[in-house]
Amino acid sequence: MGYVNRRNRTIAGVFLLPTVAVLFLTTIYPMLYALYLSFRNYDLAKPFIPRIFVGLANFQEVLTSGPFMHSMWITFKLMAVTLTFQFVIGVGLALLVTQRLPGMAAIRTLLLIPMMISPVIVGLVWLFIYFPELGYLNYFIGLIGINPIPWITSTQWALTAIAIADIWQWTPFVMMGTAAALQSLSPEPYEAALIDGNSRIDVFLYVTLPQLKPVLISLLFLRAIDAFKIYDIIFVLTKGGPGDATETIALYIYRQSFTFWRMGVGAAASFVSLIIISVLITLFFKSMQKSAVAR
Amino acid sequence: MGIWNKSLLAASFVAMMCGSALAQDKPFEGVQLKMLGIGDTSVTRLAKITSEFEEQTGAKVQIDMLPYPGLIDKIIIEASSDNPTYQLLWVDSPWVGMLGEAGALQDLTDYAKRDAAEIGLDDIIPVQLQENSWQGALLAFPASGMIWHVNYRQDLFDNADEKAAFKAKYSYDLAPPSTWQQFHDIAEFFTRKKGDKLAGKVLEQDFYGNAESYSRVQGAITHDYFPIMRGFGGDYWDPATGLCAMTGEPHVKAAEFMKSLVPFNPPDYLGLMWDIQSGYMERGETALSGYWSVRTVRLTNPEEAKLPSLGKAGFSGGPTVDGKPQPTYTGALSFAINAKVSDQEKEAAWAFIKWGTSEKIMRRLADEGWGISQFRKSILSDPALQEKYPYYKVLLDTQANARRRIFHPFYADVEENFGVELSKYMAGETATAQEALNNACTAVNSRLSMFPVEQRLRWINDAPVTVLQK
Amino acid sequence: MASVSLTNVVKAFGAFKVVHGVDLDITDGEFVVLLGPSGCGKTTTLRMVAGLEDVSGGEICIAGEVINDRPPKDRKIAMVFQNYALYPHMTVRQNMEFALKPQKLSKAEVDAKIAGVAGMLGLDALLQRKPAQLSGGQRQRVAMARAMVRTPEVFLFDEPLSNLDAKLRTQVRMEIAKLHKQLGTTVIYVTHDQVEAMTLADKIVIMKDGYIEQIGSPEEVFAHPKNLFVATFIGSPSMNLFRMTVERGDKGPVLSSAAFTIAAPVDKSGKLTPGQAVTLGIRPSDVRLARAGEPGAIEARVEVVEYLGVEALVDLRVGTQEFIAQIPAGERPAPDETVKVVFNQAGLHLFDSESGQAL
Repeated sequence: MGYVNRRNRTIAGVFLLPTVAVLFLTTIYPMLYALYLSFRNYDLAKPFIPRIFVGLANFQEVLTSGPFMHSMWITFKLMAVTLTFQFVIGVGLALLVTQRLPGMAAIRTLLLIPMMISPVIVGLVWLFIYFPELGYLNYFIGLIGINPIPWITSTQWALTAIAIADIWQWTPFVMMGTAAALQSLSPEPYEAALIDGNSRIDVFLYVTLPQLKPVLISLLFLRAIDAFKIYDIIFVLTKGGPGDATETIALYIYRQSFTFWRMGVGAAASFVSLIIISVLITLFFKSMQKSAVAR
Repeated sequence: MGIWNKSLLAASFVAMMCGSALAQDKPFEGVQLKMLGIGDTSVTRLAKITSEFEEQTGAKVQIDMLPYPGLIDKIIIEASSDNPTYQLLWVDSPWVGMLGEAGALQDLTDYAKRDAAEIGLDDIIPVQLQENSWQGALLAFPASGMIWHVNYRQDLFDNADEKAAFKAKYSYDLAPPSTWQQFHDIAEFFTRKKGDKLAGKVLEQDFYGNAESYSRVQGAITHDYFPIMRGFGGDYWDPATGLCAMTGEPHVKAAEFMKSLVPFNPPDYLGLMWDIQSGYMERGETALSGYWSVRTVRLTNPEEAKLPSLGKAGFSGGPTVDGKPQPTYTGALSFAINAKVSDQEKEAAWAFIKWGTSEKIMRRLADEGWGISQFRKSILSDPALQEKYPYYKVLLDTQANARRRIFHPFYADVEENFGVELSKYMAGETATAQEALNNACTAVNSRLSMFPVEQRLRWINDAPVTVLQK
Repeated sequence: MASVSLTNVVKAFGAFKVVHGVDLDITDGEFVVLLGPSGCGKTTTLRMVAGLEDVSGGEICIAGEVINDRPPKDRKIAMVFQNYALYPHMTVRQNMEFALKPQKLSKAEVDAKIAGVAGMLGLDALLQRKPAQLSGGQRQRVAMARAMVRTPEVFLFDEPLSNLDAKLRTQVRMEIAKLHKQLGTTVIYVTHDQVEAMTLADKIVIMKDGYIEQIGSPEEVFAHPKNLFVATFIGSPSMNLFRMTVERGDKGPVLSSAAFTIAAPVDKSGKLTPGQAVTLGIRPSDVRLARAGEPGAIEARVEVVEYLGVEALVDLRVGTQEFIAQIPAGERPAPDETVKVVFNQAGLHLFDSESGQAL
């Protein structure tokens, strides 16, 4: 028995080796290197600055920095808005596209397109839409007599504009996940409710939603991680501006690392946000387990 | 022709030193040159005709053209790599200190001295060479020389009705602004709504008195703010400490002045940066716009701008507080050689720089109408070309009394911190200009203060470029 | 409580008909079982009554009113589903409360109803549990409770026992029978299990391919199957069939095959003509071992003997013809033995081989 086990373990090890190697090279090593950097004064553009060990100075700087806290606030604000709309609209669309109506399959496919586009391209598409002078959006609102709105160039609108683009791109993800879950739900409770005469709202609130809860939590969890990292769309549309109105965590880290070339500070900021996102994950998993037990 | 023979001679000499037997008439046969460049006039013009260089020298040239925002990031990464991909680097002159202190750029002093006659070293406006130096060493070679100047609608300034109305309102004659107050008045005067009349015609869309850069992207706002600040009499550094000094009266006034122009700017002013800003001028949608001369040439080419078809551009130097000229900031868009490439590649790259910045090519581009902002006295002072490009005279005159632009190794910190803080102030997120400038200077100084004062002073010291010392 | 009647009810999906003109009258309080193999249209018929499927043609009446176009909630019905259709995240009590919600009753009324039903079904202790914490039988009872709590006029059951194991099935079956007796509500019950049908039904409706094959009491359909399908579908083990030809015998017509010849049942002899192809049906329980010297006995070889305790099933063979006898276990022969068997005259069924209809 012991021999077989040992042998199986060896074989398992051999099969795992490529995965472990790739994981090490692409994830673990860069992460360890980033950890190493986070304790150093490392300016990529200025090799004449000694790249010395600075203890927790980088972390201290990040945690006491107004811009970092500001970017954290912007990130969570954006996350709250985009996730709310993505889930409300996404679940609504999922309910719609799972109806057995003619043409729904085609509509469903069309609705998935935004999700399949690279975020940079999405950014560019919305750049054309938002463009102040020549943009489509201002053209169309001009037709109904509204003055042009500086969508991405005013502090009042920029975050909203980014939220709209992000909602446009990721609502289909929520829709797809929810639609899949809806289709896997047993139809019989619905027929029971139909016979009992429960209203559509009641059926949605008390029958559908509770059954979707585990899936919605998983989707929320995936979306939250993604929303926390939001970068591409903002980079294309506003680069964090105007002022610092749309500067999220990822842009803050980018700016520290690749504008100021302070790799150490950038790495420290990355780890701080990693810790924040890990706490989020843990909370999500806890609540997921709770809802699983409750079933 | 003499220049060309000499160049070939020099090239074959190098080729022989490298032991190449093949390189008789094409000295760089087999050499591959790659340039990390910008997609703007200083490169795009040349990129179209690099095949001619290839025919003459055998060296193949590939130019990768990127937008200005982010370009410096790629150059820094390229410079920090041990295995260079690019032999030629496009350099905006403020980067010279950053790249120079990092040892990323080849010192061109010896090449320039060796080939002084061939390149017409004396023909180049001296401050343009100074602009490309770091601690006295010539690290890049000008491919386009710049000043920050005012572009205006000559046709509107000449309009009798507008002139009379202006005089009536401001009690002085409408003319290119020499003071900031005049600049402000003109911007205010020409700000019109859709349906208003401009030069007798009813406007189909809003007309803006002014267009400046207010975007934070790649510090775009600083590229207008710094020259305006200079016009108010300010400068970057404290000569005693080598720290950021941009919190004084001229600096605050300059920032407040820019903010006072906001009502005359397009509604998307916070998104305005070089190309978008100059676009308003090129489409004839603004009366007045001060910017770096790199794109000015487009205002005279009907294939690149609408303005020559619907009106006429006028040009003048940057205003000052009292109308007496202050030494303006210059700028240079230049070609540099990656310090880490082989000697043969360096020679080939130098040959390309010589070719691409030669008077012959520059004159040809100017003749064809696809010119760039020039840096050679012979061209800028050519009466025929001055007639064709009226801003040449402005370029030439202002550079007689000009001062070098920022060149500090921490330029990226300056550009980014001032970009963000000024943009926030313009957007109303920061209450006062003083606060915004204090924030930006504090951020910059927090990094500088850890260096000894001697080092800081060395970084702001503009040692005379040795290539001009006989 | 109400009567239900179906008149020429048709269900078609496009050109494809799955129910062909069903006529059925169910009197008030009757327990009717729709029985048939899968795909026979019984569930579709039930779902049309429930309002879960549109009616393509004909009329369905409940309590004398045509309800074809009424939404399910207005049909005064309640349904128990094959998979129970309980709301998984709700407790037993909440499941029932949710079913009552549309009736907008007071809290006291709701509590009283739930207490009543829970008491009847023995669910009092389970009211706070969720379906996942219940056994299959308990879930089934909850499903019934949820239907009952609404006090409908007609109960619809869709294969309610098919997810239960055999022992539970028997138990719940008896409970259903008891409840029906207690409540007296009209029931339409769909199953493919003839035992359920036989034990529960006042009236069995046997369906095949969207047609009704026979309607009758359990006794009727067992003793007098109208056709070969009903004959073989009802009863277990199923009826033995022999393909025979009618011939003229000395004392009237006889049925003859390569294996054996027997006299035709006297009451059917008038309907027979020589040369006619008929199918003789005899239930295994009507085959018995012949007494010594008994006339008309058929000699058969024992292939397999299945011992069932009280009885035994004996697979017999005559020539190429195989059939089964169900005999007292004590009389069972040994395999490979040769035995003589006789058919009970009263148990002989005759069908026209061509039409399959009983003669």
